[in-house]
Amino acid sequence: MKKIRQCLREHSVPLALLAPAVIIILLVVLLPLIFSFYTSFTNYRLIKPETLWQWIGLRNYQRIMGDWAFWVAFGRTVLFLTIALNLEMLLGLGLALLVNRITWGQRVMRTIMMFPMMFSPILVGFQFKYMFNDTIGVVNNALQSLGLTHEAIPFLVDRWLAFFSISIAEIWMSTSIFAILILAGLFAMPRDPIEAARVDGCNNWQVFRHITLPFLMPFIYIAMTIRSLDVARAYDVVDVMTGGGPAGRTELLWTLIARTAYDDARMGRANAMAYVSILLSIFFTWFFFRKLMQARKHLGAF
Amino acid sequence: MSKRTKDVIIWFVTFFIMLIICLPGLWIILSAFRPNGEILTKPAIWIPQNLSLDNFRAIFGMGDNVVAIPVGSYFRNSLVISTTSTFLAIVIGMSGGYAFARFQFPGKASAFLWIMLSRTVPGIALSLPLFIIWSRLGLIDTPFGVILVYTAINVPFTVWLIEGFFRQVPHELSEAAQIDGCTRWQAFWKIEFPLAKSGVVSAGIFAFLTSWNEYALASQLTRSTDSKTLPAGLMDFTAQFTIDWAGMCAMAVIIIIPALILTFLVQKHLIAGLTFGGVKG
Amino acid sequence: MAEVSLKNVVKFYGDLEVVHGINLDIAHNEFVVLVGPSGCGKSTTLRMIAGLEDITGGEISIGNRVVNNLPPRRRNISMVFQNYALYPHMNVRENLGFSLKIAGKSVQEIDDAVNDAANILGLAEFMERTPAELSGGQRQRVAMGRAIVRHPDVFLFDEPLSNLDAKLRTQMRTEIKKLHQKVKTTIVYVTHDQVEAMTLADRIVIMKDGHIVQVGTPLEVFEHPVDTFVASFIGSPPMNLIEGTINNNKVTLSDGVTLPIPPKTGNSLSDGQKVIYGFRADILMPKGHTLAKGGQTADLDLTIDFAEPLGSETILLTKIGGVEIQAKMHNPRPVKEGEVLTCELSIEKSHLFDAATGRTLKV
Ligand SMILES: Nc1ncnc2c1ncn2[C@@H]1O[C@H](COP(=O)(O)OP(=O)(O)OP(=O)(O)O)[C@@H](O)[C@H]1O
Ligand SMILES: [Mg+2]
Repeated sequence: MKKIRQCLREHSVPLALLAPAVIIILLVVLLPLIFSFYTSFTNYRLIKPETLWQWIGLRNYQRIMGDWAFWVAFGRTVLFLTIALNLEMLLGLGLALLVNRITWGQRVMRTIMMFPMMFSPILVGFQFKYMFNDTIGVVNNALQSLGLTHEAIPFLVDRWLAFFSISIAEIWMSTSIFAILILAGLFAMPRDPIEAARVDGCNNWQVFRHITLPFLMPFIYIAMTIRSLDVARAYDVVDVMTGGGPAGRTELLWTLIARTAYDDARMGRANAMAYVSILLSIFFTWFFFRKLMQARKHLGAF
Repeated sequence: MSKRTKDVIIWFVTFFIMLIICLPGLWIILSAFRPNGEILTKPAIWIPQNLSLDNFRAIFGMGDNVVAIPVGSYFRNSLVISTTSTFLAIVIGMSGGYAFARFQFPGKASAFLWIMLSRTVPGIALSLPLFIIWSRLGLIDTPFGVILVYTAINVPFTVWLIEGFFRQVPHELSEAAQIDGCTRWQAFWKIEFPLAKSGVVSAGIFAFLTSWNEYALASQLTRSTDSKTLPAGLMDFTAQFTIDWAGMCAMAVIIIIPALILTFLVQKHLIAGLTFGGVKG
Repeated sequence: MAEVSLKNVVKFYGDLEVVHGINLDIAHNEFVVLVGPSGCGKSTTLRMIAGLEDITGGEISIGNRVVNNLPPRRRNISMVFQNYALYPHMNVRENLGFSLKIAGKSVQEIDDAVNDAANILGLAEFMERTPAELSGGQRQRVAMGRAIVRHPDVFLFDEPLSNLDAKLRTQMRTEIKKLHQKVKTTIVYVTHDQVEAMTLADRIVIMKDGHIVQVGTPLEVFEHPVDTFVASFIGSPPMNLIEGTINNNKVTLSDGVTLPIPPKTGNSLSDGQKVIYGFRADILMPKGHTLAKGGQTADLDLTIDFAEPLGSETILLTKIGGVEIQAKMHNPRPVKEGEVLTCELSIEKSHLFDAATGRTLKV
């Protein structure tokens, strides 16, 4: 006890500086999470406040473990994230390499590249909902005007087309984060190793594969880490585009949570699901953060 | 193929990709100036026949056909909530970032990790307990309640970015300033802060954009014109039986324009911020 | 008047004691150099004088004023950092004038003082450049200029030359010496380079593991090192040290060679006592190549392993008592490896140290 007090006194300045950040996070994030952890063990329903005290142990978790719809949504979320993150990374890499190559008008291109970053996810969702609409959407209109199809294509209704559509929206929204960070990496890249490799007889592809790419890896992982911090932004996109529908065909973990909590008013069960979604986010972040640390250590030898 | 033709081809490919990136946004902006009738016509009218500001007038309650959605109030709420929470997140982030950059204290590494981890909680997962607790506390549907939440979700990122920038400033500079006659407080504002400014600015932009664009929490924590923000308000359009596409497009333009202006104004800082604070940290 | 005095100054980092109660009195206008191996607490001591580190125990006073609890800005000191710590967002003029501006001096006063300093240090043509646009030596000069504009009571230098290349270092060393003559001030200067210490100091303070080992003028510490640590730290090449045993008022080395006990050694020696015999290369010379004569000497036949001609003298590497040692040859002639030379060792100027404590046995 005395030791703690002495420690507090010795480090009073940094602790005081840190206090506001810690307090607000405790208040707005940790405290609610503790509360929701508790409710995930109750039969809490929004419309019946007295159910808050109905302790049902692990039943919510057992329920969702045995719930086929939950597992489908979970699997779809993981698939969605894997596809989206990888494509974003590849497209971002390609885009950065292209922009890095051009000299005339590079500044303007760079600015345009950042354009989607300013879009609210909900706007992105709305934008693609509007474009993929089967009666008035510009995509269908264009296909019909060009005579490629006579029927309207149900982009947001068909199971796989809808999945494809929300992936497009997500990728459009987030590719620029990768492109910007990788471009920054390309700018920071020292010339010497590239020149040395050329002298050693590497061709363009070998230079890219053995020099440029390893140097870019930390930047790629930084982008991955930043992205996985808010993978759940996809909720906004999907919520406005399809709302998880039709008939649960684009249901992701997050839309399922929202429906369970607010439409079915089963707070307890929704909170149990929410914990699964938190773990998912932490897993993705932790995974890429570890990769980042490894890549940095590796690069130290450069 | 000569190097020159290759360069030209690459330029056009890049230009084409940029066009694809821009088209969806441009399409929305164009639609915002077209009447609903024209948008809904089949077969599609490709060349806009009559462009006007009618949709904007309508959502702001002026002109003939009035939309029953109080976009004016939403805009005001968004502005108040975003600027206040950004300001708070910056102040708290500077204080916390400085502590991490300049001081050694027990549990430093894990404190940093936990602060960052708090950011991974998905908005929708956080909204459930917050909804209940904020209702009990009477914070539901108040700007203050939303400001508090947005500040908290922005703090991890501002702390991280700003910490990276302060760490780049050698601590001897502050010591030299103190020997030159400054108090620690003066040394901070005259030496360390100016050198870390672009980090603070970029942290501010990110915080502002996050708050301005946030939807998952706002859609649950706000109800009425008292606190509803633009992104949450956009869904008002779909709640009705027919979707007012033109109105939504106009509102989308209203949401995007401040973000665009802000980002272009401070573009330089933004890139510096992302690369310095993030990558070298 | 600005004497600096340290009384029983102690510094702990957590539970780690890095400065163990040191005492030091620095006179007004004196140039004192703290020297010692890396990690011995030189910077820590200097930073305590500056007020950048808390003093765990003891008392520091500047000009008869106890400064323990004064912040750096109230101590009227200035400091030159190893990495210069110039403010990157200010040009040279602003860097130089910053402290005066903070003190609320008038524009005229600041201009005058800044121009003065710039003239003394030859910075006039760089005034509008930022630190990034200066060379290492120029930055170094700006850092010194920033220190002198305020006419502080005490100058503190923390290894100011260690980031410069060898030639520039020698040149700046001279400039610092000149600066001290021009702007008479008390200076405390930290370095781990004994040559710098010898050339600059009025008095040298040799530190080791948080203790002061010896304080004295450069000549004193060179000629009368209090222990083997000082003997091997000061002077280049370092002093030759050979272990031996006292036997019949002689020192017997491990290979049976005996050397006379240097005069002025206390007579508390007992047979069988372990000692260390020490002498510098300058006092072991081949016969016929010696400089000064006189005093008691001993002749030794030495096999030369290696010779390093330096022009005006040659360093000879050889072995005595199984230990590698160095000798010097003035007015040199070519020496072959394996050649046996008769050398003369000045017993007068040799040292004897206690093998157990390393302390000198001279009285
Ligand atoms: N902030 C600190 N926390 C803990 N220990 C420290 C701290 N600063 C210095 N030390 C320790 O104190 C001792 C003395 O450090 P100091 O910097 O004074 O050495 P120095 O003599 O200046 O060495 P150098 O010549 O390498 O600069 C060292 O052992 C060092 O490890
Ligand atoms: Mg040091």
